[in-house]
Amino acid sequence: MKRLILACLLLICGGAFAQQDSEVGTNALIVVGEPAGTPLSGAALEELTEEVAGRMRCPVCQGLSVADSPSDAAVAMKAEVRALLAAGYTPAQTVRYFETSYGEFIRLAPKAEGFNLVVWIAPVAMLLIGAAIIAWRLRGPRAAVAEVPGPASVDEDPDLAVYRERVRQELAAAPPAQGTDA
Amino acid sequence: MKPRVLVLAVGALLTIPVIVFLAIGLRHDPHQIDSPLIGKPAPPFALADLEGNVVRLEDLRGTPVLLNFWATYCVPCVAEHKTFMTGERVLGERLRLLGVIYHDETSLIRRFLEQRGEWGRTLVDPGSQVAIAYGVYGVPETYLIDAEGIVIDKITWPLVTPEHLFAWLGQHGLAR
Repeated sequence: MKRLILACLLLICGGAFAQQDSEVGTNALIVVGEPAGTPLSGAALEELTEEVAGRMRCPVCQGLSVADSPSDAAVAMKAEVRALLAAGYTPAQTVRYFETSYGEFIRLAPKAEGFNLVVWIAPVAMLLIGAAIIAWRLRGPRAAVAEVPGPASVDEDPDLAVYRERVRQELAAAPPAQGTDA
Repeated sequence: MKPRVLVLAVGALLTIPVIVFLAIGLRHDPHQIDSPLIGKPAPPFALADLEGNVVRLEDLRGTPVLLNFWATYCVPCVAEHKTFMTGERVLGERLRLLGVIYHDETSLIRRFLEQRGEWGRTLVDPGSQVAIAYGVYGVPETYLIDAEGIVIDKITWPLVTPEHLFAWLGQHGLAR
């Protein structure tokens, strides 16, 4: 019975996709031209659909990809990704198709070109600069300690000579210390 | 320059741009991003209305088209409904109004239209293909397509009153 229901669902979905494919195909043809890849099906299609949908931002979610979001909008977009890949469009063409209508916002990872390079370079640059500052700070003070003469010891400091002499005299005049042990 | 001042200067140099970036970026609503379709030919479509009659965008060439994506669960869309009813009555054949159902059940749409009346043509968008082709984020979203088939504007805020509609159309020389 379950298999029968599943078969009916697949037939219904298949019919729906067949109707939709022509609409997708028309728009995609206008936007990104002829398919430049190989039509896919089965497990390879599903795998690539997940991968491409994972690169696209769900437009109605907070930081979720189309592959991860359960929203109606994301489900519809994922179905369209699948339809495009099945028709032989490459992943790059597929993402470009969505980018044409949604803009670059649809990409979860912005393209590494132009001003976007800041996003890619800045974290690494900041990490390196931070590491350099830490290294410099760790090495700097030690070197400074080695170079700067420390305070003279109590035995050598000429300013303390008077006090040293007084302590010596007091110690000489003092009675010998009494043992405290029983 | 003293080492401490140098560290503070480098730290400020690194953190200030990040703070500025975040201050600008976090206040920016991505849904308000201008549509990349503006100034470009409107994606063509052929969608059936609730009676099964197919409406082709290219058949409407020669008349400006208002394309509104809506749903019954969307409160602002319900507010817009009266606006479009009035707009159609006032503008007549000078502007074609098309409503595209966005993730909603046709039974609910039928009931809604039976109760409140219908403006323009109500189109069914299987799989939200046309919504995706137009870069729809949610509802309501309204596109204005000129007589040559070029997208001239997109708004994501609701046209709550006819005045809002006519003011918007007026910005594009399409007012009454």
